[in-house]
Amino acid sequence: MIEHDIIVIGGGLSGLRAALEAKKHGADVAVISKVPPIRSHSVAAQGGINASIGSDDSWDSHAYDTVKGSDYLADQDTVEILCKEAPERVYEMENWGTLFSRTEDGTIAQRPFGGAGFPRTCYAGDRTGHNLLHTLYEQVLRSGVRIYNEWMVTRLATDSNRCTGFVALNLLDSELETFRAKAVILATGGYGRIYQRSTNSIINTGFGISLAYRAGVPIQDMEFVQFHPTTLWGTNILITEGVRGEGGYLYNKDHERFMDKYAPESMELAPRDIVARSIQTEIDEGRGFPGGYVQLDITHLGKELINERLSGIRQICIDFAGVDPIKEPIPVQPGHHYSMGGISSSKDGLTPLDGLYAIGECACISVHGANRLGGNSLLDTIVFGKRAGEHAANAVKNIAMPSEYSLNESLAEERSNIDSMMGDSGESFADVKDELRQTMQKYVGVYRNREGLETGLASVKVLEKRGEDIHVKSRVRAFNMELMNVLEVKGMLDIARVITEGALVREESRGAHYRTDFLERDDEKWLKHTLAYLKDGEPKLEYKDVTITQFQPKRREY
Amino acid sequence: MVYLKIKRQDESREWYNSFEIEETAGMTVLEALFYVQEHMDGSLCFRYACRGAVCGSCGMLINRVPRLACRTQVGIAKKENTREGSDDIFVAGQKSEEENEIILIEPLSNLKVIRDLVVDMDIFYNLVDSIKPWISSPEKHPEGGNLMSPDLREKIEKYTNCILCACCHGACPVAAKDDTYLSPATLAKAWRMHLDSREDDASRQERLDFVNSESGVWGCDLVYKCVAVCPKKVPPTMGIKALREQIEKNKEK
Repeated sequence: MIEHDIIVIGGGLSGLRAALEAKKHGADVAVISKVPPIRSHSVAAQGGINASIGSDDSWDSHAYDTVKGSDYLADQDTVEILCKEAPERVYEMENWGTLFSRTEDGTIAQRPFGGAGFPRTCYAGDRTGHNLLHTLYEQVLRSGVRIYNEWMVTRLATDSNRCTGFVALNLLDSELETFRAKAVILATGGYGRIYQRSTNSIINTGFGISLAYRAGVPIQDMEFVQFHPTTLWGTNILITEGVRGEGGYLYNKDHERFMDKYAPESMELAPRDIVARSIQTEIDEGRGFPGGYVQLDITHLGKELINERLSGIRQICIDFAGVDPIKEPIPVQPGHHYSMGGISSSKDGLTPLDGLYAIGECACISVHGANRLGGNSLLDTIVFGKRAGEHAANAVKNIAMPSEYSLNESLAEERSNIDSMMGDSGESFADVKDELRQTMQKYVGVYRNREGLETGLASVKVLEKRGEDIHVKSRVRAFNMELMNVLEVKGMLDIARVITEGALVREESRGAHYRTDFLERDDEKWLKHTLAYLKDGEPKLEYKDVTITQFQPKRREY
Repeated sequence: MVYLKIKRQDESREWYNSFEIEETAGMTVLEALFYVQEHMDGSLCFRYACRGAVCGSCGMLINRVPRLACRTQVGIAKKENTREGSDDIFVAGQKSEEENEIILIEPLSNLKVIRDLVVDMDIFYNLVDSIKPWISSPEKHPEGGNLMSPDLREKIEKYTNCILCACCHGACPVAAKDDTYLSPATLAKAWRMHLDSREDDASRQERLDFVNSESGVWGCDLVYKCVAVCPKKVPPTMGIKALREQIEKNKEK
């Protein structure tokens, strides 16, 4: 049994920021991750991080944009924290060595992003996530936090409404081990890979969310799934909003800048949900290019600006689509990008299960509501990562190490679970996973309606049944990818079920959840958060109020 | 159709397996490996994460060239000479005379193999970490943040683009014969830290002294193989030369 006061599961931005803060407060803290921290999906973030550091800008303007962008579903008390603490967190990252882009006078440069009243997105070229993650990892190395690389956490252990630690699989030799802790911080990221088209890394299966869900923790607002308007046609690699922030235009096949029909004021810089729907409508109504895409054109920006601020995008387009954006438009289509929902957690990352915290994309704090603004997710990771790390470090001072009993029990359960999965017959995880991804893409995508959602739900239930019969054929010990995948596919099924049920029940259109059979937002019935609990193997939905402080809901126009 | 000839390895033996797969439009070597793993041989293992050439997980030898599997197109690799049987590590694919339709896939060179295409990256990470690769700025930042000129930023950026994939390490002839050699990526990072105006002078000097050795900047053969294979266009050799100049300049003082 391995022991630390605090163990952070996940080594992306939020996890590393929490670990660093806990360490600074003197706690014995470790990070455990299925990939080395610098391989985490945070590394792929491109466009930037929001902070109201501009001379005319203010935190409440940032908060207003965030709340309006969220279609009024965000909790305004946590949004206030997000926006107030943004400048300090960004300056801190700068001081630790993040290579932010600069203005001529040497200050941090900012670019316009969708749904924002000011150019408040700080950036490091178009590799902001890479620069932030490597910097934070460097500081974590400096601080001496212990890191367990290439371990997959498979089960949380609990004892009378307290998380006592977890069981994890060492990928190096497939041995199970127990980890005991006074506090566990989940920072495992999103679930993008349950969709066929996603910008997310292949590792983003949402397994951490299902770990909490299975431990009885509610997961919140899961039906709110962000589809990014511009993913590279074919591979769905992200083409940052920064491309439009720098002045890129969207064209349909008739060379119309179609955004003037949908958001005449904001055009290409309307929030993501609106631009994604606009592009999807153009494609669905036959004004896309053959194969289903539109064009994102930056040829007019010139070689110099593209090479200076969008060089990563240029490389991606050349490598993965054979297109040089200096010379020709980029083919783009909407694709899954981000999860507004997640493990229900508070302003300090606390979940309803004592000793368990959740931060970053796996959590729902809820600062993004029904639609997240670009540049707010990187911010979310470091603001609430820091807060959770600090809170946990203070909390563990007054908590005794839990008894070993629940951990030994969990280990026995997990051992028998894995033993029962080994076998030469049964379903292949790949078939179930592929069908799940197609189902979610087709029925729980940009546009939703009752008929489609019911069909999707029926399919997910069938896949859940088939999922029970998936077996691991490979008996190799070191890096048994099949075993990892089988464990994760089962978690993916849990999440898909909750998203689909939540979307079916919510009969309104709000932010990224758009029902063609209920076109309007319905504040009277639906200005509330969805909470899904696992009860007897099925999701049970409950609802809770949204916290509204200074911004009363009004019609959202751009 | 395309054939992946994959080098396999476990604790006790080494062997090659060939897999015939249907090539789809735009298929990358990483996608082809997933096809094999998911549908043909579940025991195959390799590392992966982003599939978009930003995470640095999937460095391996493809036709004896260290490359990211996610960034290498099957359609291009299959038209190259596989260079099977050669002990050399090359920096670029060589177009084959005849259409051989075979891609040779092996683990990254100069690192111990754990199994199949998974190598012991801790060897590489420990080399990188040995230079204390972090900025030792004071705890409190100046009001409004540190200032940095766009020109300096541009100089540093060439090196911060490193994703620590270790392709340079796999291509490096010095790393091949000397396992204490710090590695091109490490030295590139040392120069990145050295250039940064936020780094404190004592840490900068300590790092410079540390790389001033045969395992450090003086070990490099200046063959530029690391520069040639870097998927992110980082030029480690330029950083190494700059560090050498800096060391020489300090000596003169």
